[in-house]
Amino acid sequence: MGSLRTCDRTEDTLKGGPRQIHKVLKKADMKAMKLPLLATLAVAATLTSCGGSVNGSSRTILQNKGSDTLVNVAQAWAEEYSKVNPSCAIAVTGGGSGTGISAMINGTVDIANSSRSMKDKEMTMARENGVEPVEFTVGFDALAVYVHKDNPIESITIEQLAMIYGEGGEVEKWSQLGIQMPEGASDEIVRVSRQNNSGTYAYFREAVLGKTGNYKLGSLDMHGSKDVVDLVEKTPSAIGYSGLAYATDHLKLVPVSSGGGAPVEPTVETAIDRTYPIARPLLMYTSGQPTGATKEYMDWILSDVGQQIILKKGYAPVRDL
Amino acid sequence: MTDIDFKSFKAQPLDYKNQRNQRLYRLLFGWMTVLLILPVLIILVLLTAKGAPALSWEFFTADPINGMTEGGIFPCLIGTIWIVAVALFASVPLGVACAVYLSEYAPDNTLTRLINLAIINLAGVPSIVHALFGVGAFVMFFDLGTSILAAGLTLAVMTMPVVIVSTRESLQAVPQAFREACWSLGATRSQTIRKVVIPNSVTGILTGVILEVSRTVGETAPIMFTGAALFLPFVPDNFFERLSSQTMAMSLHLFTVSTQVPNVPEELPFGVALVLIGMVLVLNSVSIAFRMYLRGQKKW
Repeated sequence: MGSLRTCDRTEDTLKGGPRQIHKVLKKADMKAMKLPLLATLAVAATLTSCGGSVNGSSRTILQNKGSDTLVNVAQAWAEEYSKVNPSCAIAVTGGGSGTGISAMINGTVDIANSSRSMKDKEMTMARENGVEPVEFTVGFDALAVYVHKDNPIESITIEQLAMIYGEGGEVEKWSQLGIQMPEGASDEIVRVSRQNNSGTYAYFREAVLGKTGNYKLGSLDMHGSKDVVDLVEKTPSAIGYSGLAYATDHLKLVPVSSGGGAPVEPTVETAIDRTYPIARPLLMYTSGQPTGATKEYMDWILSDVGQQIILKKGYAPVRDL
Repeated sequence: MTDIDFKSFKAQPLDYKNQRNQRLYRLLFGWMTVLLILPVLIILVLLTAKGAPALSWEFFTADPINGMTEGGIFPCLIGTIWIVAVALFASVPLGVACAVYLSEYAPDNTLTRLINLAIINLAGVPSIVHALFGVGAFVMFFDLGTSILAAGLTLAVMTMPVVIVSTRESLQAVPQAFREACWSLGATRSQTIRKVVIPNSVTGILTGVILEVSRTVGETAPIMFTGAALFLPFVPDNFFERLSSQTMAMSLHLFTVSTQVPNVPEELPFGVALVLIGMVLVLNSVSIAFRMYLRGQKKW
């Protein structure tokens, strides 16, 4: 850098006195500062140019956060809604039902997505923060139980599921359910479950293990429905559960029966008519009765157009369309 | 002509042994180096092979559409640039000022050592802890909400130690003689810092800054809770509105398309990863080139 010359020129500057020193120093300084200045300008220019290329003036931004089960539907709604109502943008974030609910309690979101109802304790906490959550059922989801494609199982009962997943349940091997695993697959059941702030986790516990039931230790707890699907696809002796919308063709969906009834296939239809035993409501919470942009958005979600979208994503709408 | 007694030059058993060891160790350490470079190469080749089909002009300029399985990454690119810019503007002035104090003013006492220790510890704090700090401090306490500002500030706190340490080191690399020469001419301490020490250490400071940028670009955890949205293709025009809104970001988008969204074409996540790693590589190369240029200007 040029500043080095300050030192080379010591002799001249000495002759010139303090004023001269100052001048030389200043010169060196300016050269040294030129480059960072240019860099700053470049950054500033980039930012301004970005600003210019995005159109649209002032829009309302609604914050929508929560359930991973709902996140893809919420994303689809947000994408469609920006076409219907360009003056409103929806910011969608996942993280799990628990994340959405705690954000609602803290008042940092406009709409929280959840695949389970808020607990009384959470309601109290919200009220203490001056938030009055209002619940909307926006659809239904069949909680599909699935196994590897090569697993010969035909159907499963809720009780069997409880014995596989529940604390104190005795079923550890497929042979205990009378199932002969194909060559090469282990008889040991690999239980795939979800992390404990997941709404899917909470609903499965409630619906299968009962209000007071607990999960058996030793399951593989995945951070998202897609991870459960991926793992079960690759593991011959695995069993897993998630929202029906996540199921792929590479899995075997197991029909579920309860109370001695006939096994029911998990489909959108059986979720709508509530014959499938483990179908759950998908919920959205707003802080107080929604007004303005939030109300318009919630109304649109519950309209036929919004409900068609949730149907397309593999969930059941709240009413027949 | 005298016959040279070649016999005395002949290698002795000990020499053979040494030679053998030499070859062995060269081979061993050579392979270790190769082993180190190999993952980088494999990652780059794999990403390029799998991600290149996704790249197109549209990929950089379009919004993600159709449940994020198609379209581009434009809002993520812009979001990342904004978050990084906020982080830079917050951390560089503060970090440099802190480094100048520590290097030029601070006496070598217990307090200074404690500060140094704190900085080193801050650098070692896992990013997820910074994320929680960001939520507590910026999102909730300062009430910035989940926003670009909160995310940028969280990243600024996280990367500040990098800036401080690299700046302090480059300040200390300026020969003491320069300062003494300047002082002896009657310049004050602050004049010396402004006119001699900082101009001579700009290279190192910039290196730290660019290191910070390339780290900031890839961070996911700290922005996940403080400002990044999974889906928000809209970016407000107004400067302040934008700072206070959420945004999509490259790193989180990569996480999303590879773990959250079903039916994503395989090349999409790889394409996003390729762009992300490309950003970091370009930044690092620019920093190296720039540093070499500045070094070339120096005379010591």
